[in-house]
Amino acid sequence: MSNYLNKRGDANAELNALFHTYRAACPDTEPSANFMPEIWRRIEERQRSLFFLGRWARAFVTAAAVLSLGMAAYLYIPNGRNTVLSVESYVEAVAAGHAVGSPEFVDPSLDEL
Amino acid sequence: MLVDFELIKRAQTGDSAAFNEVVLAYRKRTLGTIARLISRPEDVEDVAQEVFLRLYFSLDQLRTAEVFEPWLYRLTVNAAYDYLRKHRRRMESRMSDLSEQQVMLADAVAGGRVDHEVRQQRQVRETVDALLSAVSEADRILLTLKEVEGLSLKELEKIYRVNENALKVRLFRARQRVLKALGEAGDESRGKGTAQADIEV
Repeated sequence: MSNYLNKRGDANAELNALFHTYRAACPDTEPSANFMPEIWRRIEERQRSLFFLGRWARAFVTAAAVLSLGMAAYLYIPNGRNTVLSVESYVEAVAAGHAVGSPEFVDPSLDEL
Repeated sequence: MLVDFELIKRAQTGDSAAFNEVVLAYRKRTLGTIARLISRPEDVEDVAQEVFLRLYFSLDQLRTAEVFEPWLYRLTVNAAYDYLRKHRRRMESRMSDLSEQQVMLADAVAGGRVDHEVRQQRQVRETVDALLSAVSEADRILLTLKEVEGLSLKELEKIYRVNENALKVRLFRARQRVLKALGEAGDESRGKGTAQADIEV
């Protein structure tokens, strides 16, 4: 058991030493002369794409709003068929639709004769 | 903190000169951290630029001075993590993947022109890179920040936004995985050594 713990302890110490040496072994990275200009180029590129995206989104929202208003208006404003205000009763409307003399009108009382 | 909060406030208002100063103050540290996190010298600058790009577009969300550095670390960690996920590290680095500098170094080593210390440093880097390649990107980053960058648990708490105990558990598990990889690498090299000895005998 103690042998195992010693082994684990050794491995831990070895790993610590390895990490410590690794830090010293990693060379300092010096930024190139192009570092800052490249950042600004990327920033401007991103800003441009954000600007176009924003414009596209605004145009889309406007179009959607106009379309919604148009559809609402279409549904709300009564169309030609509904413009005739109905004042007659249901019976009068049926009677008007099927005049007594019309061929499809058959009086059930006459049918028995 | 390497800069005044006033400078950051100016950068927040869109002052390009102030933002430049912030980048100049932190770029070396950020480059160093990224170099240790990703171990690909040719891509370090690219990842660092991505960090500062993210900083520029999220700077207006910063409210207090004391969270600036953990926040920058967080951006660095996220960018490194994204990079590592995209470029899943290979256990074996092939010659075609090496940077020009590394190829020159390899040639120099082969030609015996580089002194012992440089060779040793290179060996350490390769060993640690190989060990860290054996664990997940998240483990690699966490261990590098703690063991190589030397960040305290308090600092890591601010970066990861998790409590100390959760961090300790994650660190312990990550370390166990690296130790396992170290043990396997040791066994393998010992096996090779025995095989070599057998051949020599």
